[in-house]
Amino acid sequence: MLNNVNRKIGLVLFLISAGYLFMSYQLPTYPYIPVDADAIPKTLGWILLVLSIALFFSEDKDSEEQKAKRHIPKKDVKAISGVFVLALIFITLLEIVGFLIMTALFIFSSSKFLGYENNLVNAIVSVCFPLFLYSIFVFLLNINLPQGVMPF
Amino acid sequence: MGAIEGILTGFEVALSLEGILFVLLGVFVGTFIGMLPGLGPISAIAIMIPITYGMNPTLALVMMAGVYYGAVFGGSTSSILLNAPGISGTVASSFDGYPMAQNGQAGKALAIAAISSFIGGTISVILLMAFAPMLSSVAISFGPPAYFALMLLGLTAIASLSEGSTVKALISAVIGFMVATIGIDPQTGTARYTFGSTNLLDGIDFLIIALGLFAIAEVGYLIINRHKKSITDAKQLGSLKLSKQDMKEIAGPSGRQSILGFVLGILPGAGATIASFISYISEKRLSKNPEKFGKGAVKGLAAPEASNNAATSGSFVPLLSLGIPGSGTTAVMLGAFLVLGVQPGPMLMGDNPEIFWGIIASMYIGNVFLLILNLPLIPYIARVLTVPRPLLISLVIVFSLIGVYAISFSTFDLYLLLAFGVIGFLMRMFAFPAPPFILAFILGGMMEQSFRQAMTSSNGDISIFFTNNISLVLIILSVLSFAFPIIKSMRQKKQEA
Repeated sequence: MLNNVNRKIGLVLFLISAGYLFMSYQLPTYPYIPVDADAIPKTLGWILLVLSIALFFSEDKDSEEQKAKRHIPKKDVKAISGVFVLALIFITLLEIVGFLIMTALFIFSSSKFLGYENNLVNAIVSVCFPLFLYSIFVFLLNINLPQGVMPF
Repeated sequence: MGAIEGILTGFEVALSLEGILFVLLGVFVGTFIGMLPGLGPISAIAIMIPITYGMNPTLALVMMAGVYYGAVFGGSTSSILLNAPGISGTVASSFDGYPMAQNGQAGKALAIAAISSFIGGTISVILLMAFAPMLSSVAISFGPPAYFALMLLGLTAIASLSEGSTVKALISAVIGFMVATIGIDPQTGTARYTFGSTNLLDGIDFLIIALGLFAIAEVGYLIINRHKKSITDAKQLGSLKLSKQDMKEIAGPSGRQSILGFVLGILPGAGATIASFISYISEKRLSKNPEKFGKGAVKGLAAPEASNNAATSGSFVPLLSLGIPGSGTTAVMLGAFLVLGVQPGPMLMGDNPEIFWGIIASMYIGNVFLLILNLPLIPYIARVLTVPRPLLISLVIVFSLIGVYAISFSTFDLYLLLAFGVIGFLMRMFAFPAPPFILAFILGGMMEQSFRQAMTSSNGDISIFFTNNISLVLIILSVLSFAFPIIKSMRQKKQEA
């Protein structure tokens, strides 16, 4: 039944639209308002429900090039997941450790993780780029970035 | 303010020292980012938005317009040099541009692209000067029903004209609209889909969506292609000089296709991609030597280049005069306008003539810069293509994260950015087009507001959309644009049977 990719996605979207519709029917309504806060969400929910059914029954007409995009080699999945985890660590520690240190660490570790071998260039870019960005935002645009443990 | 007076005001802004500097900066940065694989004008504009905080809105928008067409030009460069178009609007440029580059005529191909882009830009800016004020004066009488119908047309057109499955494009638009409903409803104060989180009460900032769906999502594919060889020596471009014969060959297609590109750019949903393909095909049909197309024909490169540039200017017509974007890129431009506190639309010309005319004039100046400054600098700018991919990936992620942090100072928004990056990556993977999503997200709030205003004024009578002539025509056009792909696919099925 779920042998076609459109069927799998159609099913997921069907469940999303059902959840969205359920929540839209929980929204409070008020008297004397011609179009309440729930009207557009309900309409969108029903449209998505119909479209998900249409997708479920439609043929997979994607080009060969597009189909090839769906198959990601395991090593690339690992690389994407690794960078994703590094970005999560960056976000979590950004305000605690500070912009300059975290950005330098992120650029260096993520570039290294992705296979960049030249440590000297990597280190120079990892230090200079955050300093450059920090100067633009803090001194030129007056937008404060997290100091963290740094004194400035 | 009359048109002549307006144009002079615009040139006064664009030709001021600051104006020139910001146009130059925009064009340069746009070319730089647009040249990077996968990063097109949408990413370029979104990445540059945080830089404009606190800037004079006129200069900021003049710069953003520069980023837009600079990115289109940059996209052409990577199309020609690498056969890796940065954006879909420059795919047609690679058909003849890349074979020319392979024949050792990369410099010549870049010069043809720059000159025909310049012709396209120049003709279309003149047309823009004529059309935008005209449409503004008509649009000033538009009421909420007409505005709602116009936005509906924009959405159905972009969904039906998107590449691939129409159902997927419509799903993308509906989900974009759904995301726009998150937050407090401005009319009733009801919190919608906030899951009790105070971070979602104000809704989701458009920059999170734009950077997530485009820049961060593209990072995924950059990671997959990180070992692909980029050009090793950008110096080997060959001569940039064109012969008289080349110039003769460029003139005709550039002139014709500029007008076609401009018209297609105005239409909602059409834009640079469709314009460039139609121009390429029509020029091939007109040609006495169609067999040369695809093997490095001068006309085959000049036509889509003039057309995609003209379409870029054309897409500014609905944005500036109606306040309604017709494409994903102009939707992000609209976001940039709103971040800077400027509401584009029919009132813009009267309320902020310096912005309205300044942007138009800056486009002309920007085209001149692209031709006389960027072109000779291309061998140097093209060195960006030699930046190792792992470094490039890390820098794009940092720039996107900090861009979002600078508007909200909230790490919650950064997690959201990553989440939308994952959504954007999955959308690319399963061929769901992202432009309808961003357009629906940006238009969603405005559409709901217009719909409710119209319904309130009619005491809840929906017939108001059909009794108003303008909205009726626009709704019929929306239905037609929606029906077009269905009829087309039914015909195809019949032919196959």
